[in-house]
Amino acid sequence: MPKWFQPATLLCGAMFAISPFVIANAPYESTMGLVQKVFYYHMPSAWLFLTASVVCGIASARFLATGNPRHDRTALAAAEMAVLFGLLTLVTGPLWARKAWGTWWVWDARITSSLVGWMIAWAYLILRQYGGPGSEKLAAGLALFGMANVPFIYVSVNYWRTIHPATTVVPKLPFSMGFPLLFCLAAFYLLMFLLMKLRTRVAEQQARLDAIYLSLDEQA
Amino acid sequence: MRNLIRTIAVVFALTMQVSPLAAQTQPKQQEEFTPVDQLPPQEQLPAAPLLVGAYAFVLLMLFGYLVMVSRRLSAIQSEVTRLDADLKRAGKG
Repeated sequence: MPKWFQPATLLCGAMFAISPFVIANAPYESTMGLVQKVFYYHMPSAWLFLTASVVCGIASARFLATGNPRHDRTALAAAEMAVLFGLLTLVTGPLWARKAWGTWWVWDARITSSLVGWMIAWAYLILRQYGGPGSEKLAAGLALFGMANVPFIYVSVNYWRTIHPATTVVPKLPFSMGFPLLFCLAAFYLLMFLLMKLRTRVAEQQARLDAIYLSLDEQA
Repeated sequence: MRNLIRTIAVVFALTMQVSPLAAQTQPKQQEEFTPVDQLPPQEQLPAAPLLVGAYAFVLLMLFGYLVMVSRRLSAIQSEVTRLDADLKRAGKG
């Protein structure tokens, strides 16, 4: 791993350790009270889920265009990130909604399209795992659909009737709420970057291992 | 025999005194159900377990994933090192 990886990991760990104190100092929201503080982990998870889906889609498009396995490895790592952060979003959201809305789940456009996006990321990984030779190109095609779903997820709250907060909430946040959000967002993005690096490294080493086994077969 | 009768009389007298107290602690019998829009504050779902649950889930999942990927990486790297050494040894031999 590169030299900067360890200090960056320590910085990320420190940011996550500090984040509960930053969040505890944020004011309560007037209508939802204490439970609204789920927002400071829920929203970064959701943004990372969308970012990972876009990264997966772009890397897949570049892999389909160039055939370079480096892009394929990036897409695979990003798909895992989309599954991980999508899961965090889809679990923390209902925990917040149970108190704020009185229900665990509503089939509105935002939540349903997020669930669809998460299932596309799962489908990508399942296809990669069990699809056999050539499945990486099929999976790359699937990733393009996952990426196409992202703008729909983002704007859905502005066009369809829902009780999910609108996208205008974040730009209108006062500094006392905006700073904890930005802090958590920075910690989550740094974590995703480090996890992507680590996961890409696993894929590189796996490719190297496969090449060694291939050369052993040829020697035998 | 006289003691037994006296004991029964005392127990009976005590029971008669306790029973109105027991009747006082019992909730009033409901004759109809009255709907309300809002739960009283002591009945409402507390936010803290949901909040703590959300944060704990996020941190546990992230840590679990980090451990899983690190273990995969170290397993693959050790296998690569072993096979590289085997290949070099076979080349020399």
